Amino acid sequence: MMQASVLTATLRGVEAVLVEVQADVSSGLPSFTIVGLADAAVLEARDRVRSAIRTCGFEFPSARVTVNLAPAPLRKHGTGFDLPIALALLCATRQVPTNLSGNVFAVGELGLDGSLRPVSGMLAHMLAAAGHGAPLLAPDGLESASDAVGRVSYRPVRSLSDLREGLPVEAAEGAPGRRGMPVATHGQPDLAEVAGHSAAKRALEIAATGGHNLLFVGPPGSGKTMLARRLTGILPLLGDTERLETALVHSVAGLDDAPALAGVRPFRAPHHSCSVAGLVGGGSPPRPGEISLAHNGVLFMDELPQFGPACLQALRQPLEDGHVTLVRADGRVRYPARFCLVAAMNPCPCGFHGDNDKRCTCTDTERTRYMARLGGPLIDRIDVCLRVDRVDPEVILSCPGTESTLEVGARVTQGRTFALRAGRDASCRLSGAELLRASALGRKPRAVLTGMARSYHLSGRGVTRLLRVARTIADLAESDRVESDHLLEAAAYRAWQS
Amino acid sequence: MSASREGWRIDRGDGGYPDCLESTPHPPDILWGMGDPALLRPGLAIIGARRATPYGLSCARMFAGWAAEHGVVVISGGAVGCDRAAHEAALDAEGSTVAVLGCGPDVDYPRDSDGLMRRIRERGATLAELPWGVGPRAYHFPKRNRLIAGLAGAVLVVEAALPSGTFSTADHAIAADREVWAVPGSILYAGCRGSNTLLTQGAIPICDVTDLATALERVGLCRDKPGETPPPARVTDRLAAALLADPMRPDDAAFALRTDIVTIIRQISLLEQEGVVRRYPDGRYGALR
Repeated sequence: MMQASVLTATLRGVEAVLVEVQADVSSGLPSFTIVGLADAAVLEARDRVRSAIRTCGFEFPSARVTVNLAPAPLRKHGTGFDLPIALALLCATRQVPTNLSGNVFAVGELGLDGSLRPVSGMLAHMLAAAGHGAPLLAPDGLESASDAVGRVSYRPVRSLSDLREGLPVEAAEGAPGRRGMPVATHGQPDLAEVAGHSAAKRALEIAATGGHNLLFVGPPGSGKTMLARRLTGILPLLGDTERLETALVHSVAGLDDAPALAGVRPFRAPHHSCSVAGLVGGGSPPRPGEISLAHNGVLFMDELPQFGPACLQALRQPLEDGHVTLVRADGRVRYPARFCLVAAMNPCPCGFHGDNDKRCTCTDTERTRYMARLGGPLIDRIDVCLRVDRVDPEVILSCPGTESTLEVGARVTQGRTFALRAGRDASCRLSGAELLRASALGRKPRAVLTGMARSYHLSGRGVTRLLRVARTIADLAESDRVESDHLLEAAAYRAWQS
Repeated sequence: MSASREGWRIDRGDGGYPDCLESTPHPPDILWGMGDPALLRPGLAIIGARRATPYGLSCARMFAGWAAEHGVVVISGGAVGCDRAAHEAALDAEGSTVAVLGCGPDVDYPRDSDGLMRRIRERGATLAELPWGVGPRAYHFPKRNRLIAGLAGAVLVVEAALPSGTFSTADHAIAADREVWAVPGSILYAGCRGSNTLLTQGAIPICDVTDLATALERVGLCRDKPGETPPPARVTDRLAAALLADPMRPDDAAFALRTDIVTIIRQISLLEQEGVVRRYPDGRYGALR
């Protein structure tokens, strides 16, 4: 009796769960069975593996072949099982050195010619291999990912025939200093290209520093999207753990993880026809949604009221918790989703309420109903609200050169560093008591805040939001205390009553 | 059912038929109404655009409030914008108000989302020359305007475009030999052209409550003198002056005053906090009332 086993993994959320591929070749009628809750893509591996083994000059056993994927009750999906199955078979029939079985981690999809191609979630597989301390056999071209993970012994494999002589050599470590090197913000739109809109730029600066969610209200063509796209640029580059977290989600979703590994914050702009599963994640097998792809970055929702009510409701939990949990019959999956929400909307159904040139054709009732679509709970999670309008051509022509992304970004970093040095989290995550302590309100600012709460009819949550924004403004001014001026500015960004 | 009073019908020649209507070119034969019929006496009609600016609304509110406080019945058309602002201010001042409608007097048009019509029926009156339950039709409104002009002792136009329903009410008022007064508006804004045209045609300008009191006394609607109302606060602040004259957004203010945006935002916010200016629903900051 000939047996062998190889390690691999299947994705569950952003995690790769370890799976052992066991192959058994015994006498009997020739057959090839895969057991262990494999989905259709895994079962198709049989044909790919058979062809690949033959093309690469090995022999496919004319015997009874059984492959078991353990643990058997775990549902497995994806095409990454091709390589481990082929490898286990070759080991069991002693066609490759036996040091390729046992504590070896393999993942990759086989072509009929034996060539290897990457599957989604390579980064997650790498982490699993690193966690298990096993050498990783995977398609080539993943050097930057393995550099990011570190402590993984990555052995690139081009074709199944590479395995004839045993374990391939380890890939060379990346050039020293490549990791953690900030990349230039090339390819990202610059803030200097935007003329006018000085209040909106200030709001972006505040949102970037404190991590606040932001809402732009304005007529079509006023530049809401243009402004939102420039938020990622003024945010500092991703930190080392953030890089890995974000790249992991992108990798699991089958997207390019290179920008995230290079430290570029993701910018996701789902269209308003997006489904709930597309937005927060879902499907079978579950895939991360747009909010998770925007993890540590910016989620831009244009035409916010046009999104389905179910979508808007589904946003509430992740906005609060920083992650989303999908509950399925076979268990729960958790995806990270800590993002900065930038929403944009028209002030009314026709879009031109308060526009300088065009006349609004909506009635008051229509306008109220339009604003009411958002619902209090969502608006309650947006700290900074701002009206954006088309810029007067006179302003565009006479405007002196405005600040660039680099200059504003430097202030943002400075503000964030100030908060960090004071031992504080980003202001958007401060709760009531922490916030009060961090604000250290003097007698006069306290009176100003009370006055505002009264005259603007602020709820408790409204006061907290205002104070949070004020704390961020104080951070930008490198002030330990929140002063009246900071509160006054913050009040200008409060939400509109209905 | 609400606590609104019974409706009533007054035929021409009945005792309760208002004398002021008899003196108009074409008095209606039958009046339908709800609320207090004793309010069908000469009052002050305050009318203006439906799509009113904050300026028009605050003028309607200010003058309607003062008139109602001093016992003058405030008459208007119950429409959105200036009309509703006038009715509301009159009710808030514990005064009386009559809404002359272009539909049956029991019909809520526009939809009575804030219960204003109900309050008018309870504490004032609604009036129409259309029977119960008749819905609003475009051709009812010119007739309604004639009724407003007929019932009023004088007509105050707070904001009107040209041509407009408000302007036609003023025409009816002149035909019925009523005085027409108007609040001057911005010469840059098309929505004020009607009221400004009335002024050039001889309407009496109403610039504050003293003007209103004098005018009301002349036509015999009210004998009260305005109390010691303080004149509008002298604004020494450049920014406040700019905003009070012409509502602006922070961006425009920063550009106009050549000041950096953060300073402007903080100053505007301070002015708002002090109650000098107010943020309008469209993001502009301007006069409070």
